[in-house]
Amino acid sequence: MRAGLLDLDAWGGILTTFGQTMKVAVALTDSAGHVLGKCHNAQAVWTLIRDAAHDWTGCSFCISTGVPCTAVAEALRVGAVISVRDEAGLTHVAVPLLLGNQQLGAIIAGQVFDRYPDPLQLQRVAKEFGVSSQQLWDLSRKQRPVTSAVLQTSADLLCALGKAFLQQRYGAILEASLADTNGHFRLLVDGVRDHALFTIDTTGRVTGWNAGAERMFGYVESEIVGQNFSCIFTPEDIQNHVPERHLNKASQSGRIEDEGWRIRGNQKQFWADVNITSLLDDAGPIRGFAIIVQDVTERRKLVTVMEEARQERARVQERLLSHVSHELRTPLTAIYLFTTNVLDGLLGDLNSEQHGHLSLAVDNVKQLKSMVSDLLDITRVETNKLTVELQQVLLAKLLADVLNTCKTNASSKKISLHSNVAFDLPFVWADPARLRQILINLIDNGIKFTPEGGTVTVESRPFAEDNKFLCISVSDTGCGISPENYEMVFERLAQVKNGTQAGRSGLGLGLFISRDLVSRQGGRIWVESQLGRGSTFYLTLPVFSLARLCAHVFTAANLEAGFVTLIAVDVVWVEGTVQADIVPEIRKILERCIHPGEDMVLSSLGGAEPVETFFIIACTDANGFSVIAKRISRELQDFDNTSRLKPVISSTTLLVPPDQSRDEQIGGVMETIEELIRKHLVGKKKLK
Amino acid sequence: MTGKKILIIDDDRHLLLGLAARLKGSGYEVVCAKDGTAGINLARQELPDLVILDLGMPGEDGFRVLERMREVACLSAIPVIVLTARAPADNEKRALDSGAVAFFQKPTSNHQFLSAIRQTLGETIALSTFLRT
Repeated sequence: MRAGLLDLDAWGGILTTFGQTMKVAVALTDSAGHVLGKCHNAQAVWTLIRDAAHDWTGCSFCISTGVPCTAVAEALRVGAVISVRDEAGLTHVAVPLLLGNQQLGAIIAGQVFDRYPDPLQLQRVAKEFGVSSQQLWDLSRKQRPVTSAVLQTSADLLCALGKAFLQQRYGAILEASLADTNGHFRLLVDGVRDHALFTIDTTGRVTGWNAGAERMFGYVESEIVGQNFSCIFTPEDIQNHVPERHLNKASQSGRIEDEGWRIRGNQKQFWADVNITSLLDDAGPIRGFAIIVQDVTERRKLVTVMEEARQERARVQERLLSHVSHELRTPLTAIYLFTTNVLDGLLGDLNSEQHGHLSLAVDNVKQLKSMVSDLLDITRVETNKLTVELQQVLLAKLLADVLNTCKTNASSKKISLHSNVAFDLPFVWADPARLRQILINLIDNGIKFTPEGGTVTVESRPFAEDNKFLCISVSDTGCGISPENYEMVFERLAQVKNGTQAGRSGLGLGLFISRDLVSRQGGRIWVESQLGRGSTFYLTLPVFSLARLCAHVFTAANLEAGFVTLIAVDVVWVEGTVQADIVPEIRKILERCIHPGEDMVLSSLGGAEPVETFFIIACTDANGFSVIAKRISRELQDFDNTSRLKPVISSTTLLVPPDQSRDEQIGGVMETIEELIRKHLVGKKKLK
Repeated sequence: MTGKKILIIDDDRHLLLGLAARLKGSGYEVVCAKDGTAGINLARQELPDLVILDLGMPGEDGFRVLERMREVACLSAIPVIVLTARAPADNEKRALDSGAVAFFQKPTSNHQFLSAIRQTLGETIALSTFLRT
């Protein structure tokens, strides 16, 4: 073991900064794969697993059960980067540190998803480590998969960094300049060629400047040190206090990332990827900031060009499909009309065989019709244009409506349709039209794959694993799905072939679209089944929570200001009924009148025509309210030049108690706000 | 017979044939036009109680027909139901704004379509409730 040869102090800072820049976890290990010193590994998925398994003994970068990770040993043996995928689907790489034949150790980096994680695999890992599979799923979904090319680049950079370190270390190990950590930093960062690395003090004055920075910005160290780093910002950014804001944010949250225009010494602009990390002394105040800048102008150009090409292709595809769908609908309509005309006896009586055959024809027309609709949805899944508009939804009401729609289909196949839905369930936060589409698809599937005389049951209850979700299940007594197909049924163009199920199963797009739609609503969908006994599809949906919806409003800074104002805007429709299409327009207007990102607009939380109520949660006091109120009145007046609507604006300002923890503050404020909203709506209903 | 007269304007002659048979079967008198211009002329002549209108047609399209019907006094009060293969996302709002009372995308179920017709013709109540759902 050569641990002593690796200077942990010098490496710790560099690797952490590297990890933060590349958004990967990173650590230094000895040649046996043991992590040396602290590693940067704040990846949420891994933290969850590690915290759950108290006696963690495995590789610090692997979520694997019973199998030791051999990445480090393998990398040292072959002298090249080795990449490994663990059981949770996370990929990490081991970069060998070799000095001649001497195995010094390795850098492990990664813990990224290189593709969409497999829900079943995650479920298995969650079970193994005793963590909530919903939580694990949520975390992994948030972690955007990177392509293996990105991981490879990251590994290449680490190799370069490793080489630079080894050269510097063994070329200049005895130099006295290594005495202070800044010296370490200098030696290391000068080895990095295509990134600008520099340090500033808390006031923004440059304190260190590497060769990469010199090349990128065109300032030599002697002229820039002592200057304010704002000279690399555009005049507009300086005017808008962007440099100060960045430092404030970096002080608060430890680090920030930004992409934007920066200026070289010759006044030429380039598009920069910037990371600012605050430098802390042990438990002390902030010493300054380390800044890493990468010139990504070319990448940005490429991304723009690719994005334009992608959008153009998507537009062409959508135009084509919308045309095809239109052209298919016309003959389909004629077929439907002629067959139903004959079937309904408009052209004379039919014998039972004729009737039976024509009924089948109509069933097929209906199937074709839903396929045509799916065709358009599928392009939207692929162009990321399938949108959901979330609102609070009363599940019991929606399910009753869905069951009513599916009733005919079920009874024509002599299948009994049961539902078991509690009426006291909380609201869910979902898109009612899309939820309807998903449920109808699941129920119709259940009916399709269940033999005559079977049952399809729809149930809804709080999700046992996580009370922030409701769970809906659709069970059938059909042929079932074998475990190896649990995941496959959700894939595009899935066609599970099975001897017991006759007939076609549509385009096989329904579940694929449903999965996308459920996921966009913050839930997940999966299936459990027993061959020959039936299948149960489960889907979870987030429970509507005002507190969660408003969480981003209550930042530390906003709470510190000490005021929160609840503004109620009752828009009275002078001419009677609320026009549904105007509501989103008004919402947009209100959003223009507030501070975006700080305040937020809520749509009416319970209708009482002819009044539509919007609530605004604003982090401001009574003075701030009057400014917002004036703006709202003016903008609504401009919008509604025919005076069909009349806004009535009222407010209540709450004081945030200063001597409480943030959670207590938010809890207290939310409780009061919910109470105020309830009272306001009740009052309004009475007025009506 | 309900005695009510319905004009169908659609460039697909199979649709005209099939829908006319269905509507006649439900007791309506039916007249048909195969494009917008002919539709307007026939509307003036026949003064139907209801118009069923396609959007995509050669010559004067459905939107133009809606526009012209609003301009002519004797036609402006006749309710129009749009029945088109076009997607509601891009056309429903525009059609309703132009004066149509309901929008259906082809193919639509006979049951729903006939309910809408009956409600539009005042044969049942609560059209507004129906259209809002």
